[in-house]
Amino acid sequence: MTTPMEQLDVAFPASLPEALALMADEATRGLPLAGGTDLMVQWESGARPVPVRAIDVKNLCELHVLREDNGRVVIGAGITHAALRRSELIQRAVPALAEAAATVGGGQIQAMGTIAGSIANASPAGDLAPTLLASEARVVVASVRGERELPLTAFILGYRKIDLAPDELIVRFLVPARRDGEREAFRKLGPRAAQAISKIMGSYRGAVRDGVITSFAVALGSVAPTAIRLPDVERAVTGQPLTEATIARAEQVAAASVKPISDIRSTAEYRQWVSGRLVRGFLEHLAGA
Amino acid sequence: MTTMKKIQRTWKINGESRTVAFPPARRLLDVLREDLDLKGTKEGCGEGECGACTVMINGELAVSCLLAAGQVRDGAEILTVEGLEKTPGGRLIQRSYLEKGAAQCGFCIPGMLVSSYAFLRRHPVVNEETIKDAHAGNICRCTGYVKIIEAVQAAAERWPADEGKPA
Repeated sequence: MTTPMEQLDVAFPASLPEALALMADEATRGLPLAGGTDLMVQWESGARPVPVRAIDVKNLCELHVLREDNGRVVIGAGITHAALRRSELIQRAVPALAEAAATVGGGQIQAMGTIAGSIANASPAGDLAPTLLASEARVVVASVRGERELPLTAFILGYRKIDLAPDELIVRFLVPARRDGEREAFRKLGPRAAQAISKIMGSYRGAVRDGVITSFAVALGSVAPTAIRLPDVERAVTGQPLTEATIARAEQVAAASVKPISDIRSTAEYRQWVSGRLVRGFLEHLAGA
Repeated sequence: MTTMKKIQRTWKINGESRTVAFPPARRLLDVLREDLDLKGTKEGCGEGECGACTVMINGELAVSCLLAAGQVRDGAEILTVEGLEKTPGGRLIQRSYLEKGAAQCGFCIPGMLVSSYAFLRRHPVVNEETIKDAHAGNICRCTGYVKIIEAVQAAAERWPADEGKPA
């Protein structure tokens, strides 16, 4: 049987410099292909045209780093959801990311799909983005012109749109490790626990001292064209006592500050209500519940 | 349509060295089934949802319908359902599925077996929840999950201490 992808040329660079050299030239450039869990489905189904060429970045060892460096976790672009989920470093330093990775697809998809693929796909339902936003992650992209580092908030431009030039590759993410006293969590609502695309999900990182919320960052997915932080909620609770009154207010502010749409996976009204409930759940988690 | 130039790969499939040539983005599933005549691996949905085409590559699970075969580099170790009988753990899982009557129509079973094997060889904590999680990417439309869970549980109790490595 011949599938559409059999018309696709694939280049197999042996190193990152070799890959960047291919990307630099219009005649050899291709769409970066790693786990294939989004692209292969889109190509095979015809949802997205098969490009002339793909560049296999799955096997570039430079993209498989995973280490702690000065209070930041360096996560290579090619790190899979399975690796994130299993990593003791991630479980300790960015536990919400391990939780998020564990909810993506099943074990097979987790072992194939990569962190850079999840972010590059820029779907509002991508499960890793909220945690990376709430932890103020930065992204490093590279080309033969050099490296560029920017906050993830600036990198995700819109629905399925990222700030990546045609000659650039995502090479790694820099994620601030959780500091002493900081708590975080990820929560996802879908029709079933596994193999389901999120109706809505979110992540927070925060700290409380002497009963007062000293920091609170929260991001939700599937409520806007991209995953978003909720600055109104963050402002409303930071510096406030962690009490039921604060939580109730945050729940209201959250529901009022998101403008979700109705689509095949859920309705706007439900998403708005659940946004509030998620924020409530996060503050209760922060309180130690 | 032009014919894409073929590339060649040599893999260790189920312990055996095999060399095969194919267009670089041909699905691994098609290379296994049609070029290498390993028909145990099934195509269910063809979009990574059902897990019938599950194989292991270098110790990690993969759905072979979403993998451009060229991405599997020379020297890679591939395990398909046909390779299970070559290991004590694989034979144990097969026997356990038989004893518990875990197969109904059987179409999902090759993928289920490979997922069970990948799960148990990590010497994980085995309970209903972890078994469900490890097989979440394998869908059975006969709804025969209960016996599959029992089969994995039974295999776990007798799992060879020296097969695989800790999670």
